[in-house]
Amino acid sequence: MPNPLLSDERELAIDFAALESVSDNLAAAALSLARRFAAGATMWCVAPSWPAHGRHVAVEFVHPVIMGKRALPAIYVNDDDLLGALRVLVRPGDLLVVLGTAEDGKLTSLLRRAEAWGLTTLWIGAGPRPPASAADHVLWVDGVDPEIAGSAGGYVLLYHLLWELVHVVFEHPGLLVEPPACTDEVCITCSDEGRLVEVIETRDDDTALVLAQGHRERVDITLVGPRQPGDLLLVHAGTAITALEEREL
Amino acid sequence: MTAEPTNFLYPFIDSEERDSSALLVDLAASARGKMAQSRELQLATLAQWAAVVETVGAEMAARFNRGGRLYTFGNGGSATDAEMTAEMFRHPIKGRPLPAWPLVDDRAVLTALANDVGFELVFSRQLIAHARADDIALGLSTSGNSNNVMHAFAEAKHRGLMTIGLAGYNGGAMAGNDKVDHCLVVRSDSVHRIQEAQDALVFELWSVVQRHLADQPTLEGSSK
Repeated sequence: MPNPLLSDERELAIDFAALESVSDNLAAAALSLARRFAAGATMWCVAPSWPAHGRHVAVEFVHPVIMGKRALPAIYVNDDDLLGALRVLVRPGDLLVVLGTAEDGKLTSLLRRAEAWGLTTLWIGAGPRPPASAADHVLWVDGVDPEIAGSAGGYVLLYHLLWELVHVVFEHPGLLVEPPACTDEVCITCSDEGRLVEVIETRDDDTALVLAQGHRERVDITLVGPRQPGDLLLVHAGTAITALEEREL
Repeated sequence: MTAEPTNFLYPFIDSEERDSSALLVDLAASARGKMAQSRELQLATLAQWAAVVETVGAEMAARFNRGGRLYTFGNGGSATDAEMTAEMFRHPIKGRPLPAWPLVDDRAVLTALANDVGFELVFSRQLIAHARADDIALGLSTSGNSNNVMHAFAEAKHRGLMTIGLAGYNGGAMAGNDKVDHCLVVRSDSVHRIQEAQDALVFELWSVVQRHLADQPTLEGSSK
């Protein structure tokens, strides 16, 4: 019986034509990662379905294959309670790299909190694409089954290249300084319009302690009613105006 | 590896550099170039080792049919490749699940052995505990020189296992070594490109094993 995996039409299991379109996103991600590392970030790696890939990403950055390249702080996190673990581990400004499919609920639930925790995010995956807004950088292996992308080298190539490009950016010290987040007077971030926060503690006094960009703040929750730790809120001018369902983001 | 191949593009390493647009264009071009290199190396590697992969796959299938297990090992990125190789055989995307175990999995075992007998023996001591003659030992090392991988091959060979080595560069200590039944060398001097081509080789090997097993249904009365 012929093996259906050994297709005659395709020479390799990975479709390189589809991979090539990722190059621009890889470049942007590398610049962003290098800038965050330069500012002191730790890179947290998460890959619930592919622990070996998660470990491989971390070892690339911590122990460079090229002598003389700087060791960068990257840690693979394997925890049944990923949310609980990362909530206490991350610092504002850190990096979160997740590896897996768009259907992985553990990943989406983490990425939804990135803004509240103050993280820059990167998603490497294959199969049906997540919304472009799901992470700051999305590196997707199109046109191939996610399982094959995982075992036949698709993901590996992407994170190898990511590491290589990050170190090219380090050769440009002038570009490691992040440009000001906003120069525009009507910038949405600065005008405090609907910032996403996560509830970490509730009180009986219609206020909640929340994480906003990784910093603790107290906000008024009169409008959104009683809340639980872990709930996500949109906050404007110190007041929660909407409570978000997990699915809504 | 030597300096970044893209260095020549940036004669002015300038701390005053502020416009990232030129760099982004160069980074994307560099990524495309490296993808092309990776693809060419993978194709060349698969072509070079096609006959060997066929032979090795057939013997692995025969050993699996006799109840043999696959043990995989390596260091660093190769440890994760060993882990994924075992995973690919144990939880296949298609075909028959096969007994495969990475000797890098258990931190208690690894640190106990490293602390008590030395890191060069972390894999071979596990083989002494686990291995039987029908088993298969598959070791990965981009240099072909990893001490603990070479010790594991010697122990595996001594116990009658089939030994398969995946190396890079010129094969290092693995090449032409009588403890390594089949040494598949990826001819490159980039650790990353070597690992990518090794992944393609392992995937091909797994495909060949599955094809042979599909041709030979499990014997009644066998343990698998």
